[in-house]
Amino acid sequence: MNKEEIFSKIKEAFITVLEHDNFQLKEETTAEDVDGWESITHMMIITEIEKSFGIKFKLMDLMNMNNVGDLVRTIEAEL
Amino acid sequence: MEFVKKLQESIEKHTDHNALCINNELYTYKQFAIEISKIRLEIANNIKDSEKLVGLVTNDDLQTYASILALWLEGKAYVPVNPTTPLERNIKIFELTETKYIIDSSEDSIYKKDYKVLNSASLSETEVSLTPKFVKGDQIAYILFTSGTTGLPKGVPITFNNINALVNAIDEEPEFNLVPSDRCLQMFELTFDFSVVTYLFPFLSGSCIYTIPKGAIKYFYIFKLIKEQKLTVLTMVPSIINYLRPYFSEINAPDVRYCSFGGGALHSDIAKEWSDCLPNCKIFNYYGPTEFTVYSGFYPYNKKTHVKNHNGIVAIGTPQKDTVYLIVNENNEEVDKNVTGELCLGGPQITPGYWKNIKRNAQSFFTQTDKNGKKIRFYKTGDLCFKDEEGDFLYVGRADFQVKIRGYRVELAEIEFHAKTKSEKKVNMVALDITNSLGNAELGLAIESEVFDTEEIFNYMKTKMPGYMIPMHVRFIKEFPHSINGKIDRKELRTYFEIK
Repeated sequence: MNKEEIFSKIKEAFITVLEHDNFQLKEETTAEDVDGWESITHMMIITEIEKSFGIKFKLMDLMNMNNVGDLVRTIEAEL
Repeated sequence: MEFVKKLQESIEKHTDHNALCINNELYTYKQFAIEISKIRLEIANNIKDSEKLVGLVTNDDLQTYASILALWLEGKAYVPVNPTTPLERNIKIFELTETKYIIDSSEDSIYKKDYKVLNSASLSETEVSLTPKFVKGDQIAYILFTSGTTGLPKGVPITFNNINALVNAIDEEPEFNLVPSDRCLQMFELTFDFSVVTYLFPFLSGSCIYTIPKGAIKYFYIFKLIKEQKLTVLTMVPSIINYLRPYFSEINAPDVRYCSFGGGALHSDIAKEWSDCLPNCKIFNYYGPTEFTVYSGFYPYNKKTHVKNHNGIVAIGTPQKDTVYLIVNENNEEVDKNVTGELCLGGPQITPGYWKNIKRNAQSFFTQTDKNGKKIRFYKTGDLCFKDEEGDFLYVGRADFQVKIRGYRVELAEIEFHAKTKSEKKVNMVALDITNSLGNAELGLAIESEVFDTEEIFNYMKTKMPGYMIPMHVRFIKEFPHSINGKIDRKELRTYFEIK
């Protein structure tokens, strides 16, 4: 799976949880840039991504995730 | 006031110990004492003696915590407002309490146009002075606002006597003793009453509190603190462990001595799994509403010896020192053991009553004479409970439409009120609590109509209510389901919200 595909799948997960698509996801995007992305929805987005990619994140990785770029790199490592 | 004096003694005794850890920065009790003294002097120099209620913008910094103690030393109350809550709601709170002065550590306070703002972050050095002024026990120490059914937030004043009674009750409890080497989690907004126990007890014991920076992903940050800072005392709402549950197998925290839960129902299956992550920990399931000064009692959960529950919800146990639990029927008469009724609380931790709300006070408080002829004033919690043969109390459910969202009390009627106010289409709207796959409550808004654009309604709600009160899911339903007696069938309505 290439980066573009990963980004598009992540975006789907965000839309499912946040129930809107009024955002752009780039490497440097953080929770501050996306309406509704906060502690609770973050947990739901993570669960949604785990499901759609068929992976399971480690708490240690999640703990140090700061932006979408970190998320993508962790997914790549898991795939 | 006894507990304020004890705070002074603790701060003076533990000068070299750490008091707070905020955003990876540690502050000692000495630094804390200096900050408190500076703010206190500013209060004494600028705020009239007759002004007892002072606004406090709850930033996550040393000055904000120091301001609480400075106000108490000066015999004043804090009226906290969260900087991320809509400004309009915060201003409403200041209007209701007739607050004129606000302490704000923000660089550029948004309140300075209409209020007298004390900037607590840029004060000049002064000598340490922690001797409390005389304060009468019935004076207010803080006022917190919770969701109200009519669209107006409801104020709960807590007096110095109320807090003193709470401190006495916890001191009596031999199972719970903090020591100066303890590292304690403080994960709560200071506008949420649970925060009072997470800063007050550590400060009274010379322990250190660890806060969660605004904007951090709370759940993972807590785990990071447990792991990297080796926290020893956790105080949490149950929703935290619901969200961490998928990762329990990776959590092993032998340093944690105490874990207290409150602010929502604790389920026994997850309590057991969580307790496996904390091999050396005592777990307390606390119960208590804001109106009764945070805690009124607890059940000492233990996965091997104390697993009492009702429908999977861990027992709330017994009342603490000086507190009386009474379970009543609709006529405020006590019911028998094993009979479900409304739980009422009496004792010295009871609030003097809702702020300027005579109607609500008449509904929520009553006085009864006990068998010794002593008059006791009770608060009706709205929680349905029963007492078992062994004298333990068990939680059954709510008597009204109040729900808990991440520990915060939310009146569903308040959400409906604001949603309907802005809607151009005059249609039926019902707010519902829906349980997600992790067992946590989320808010949904059901609208009886064809699909239409709700953006304006939501933008309006965001100016009126804090984030946790904004529904996360919307469903349009052409016709609401009704029960046989003609009421909207909320249970059936919930099935329209299939959420993950």
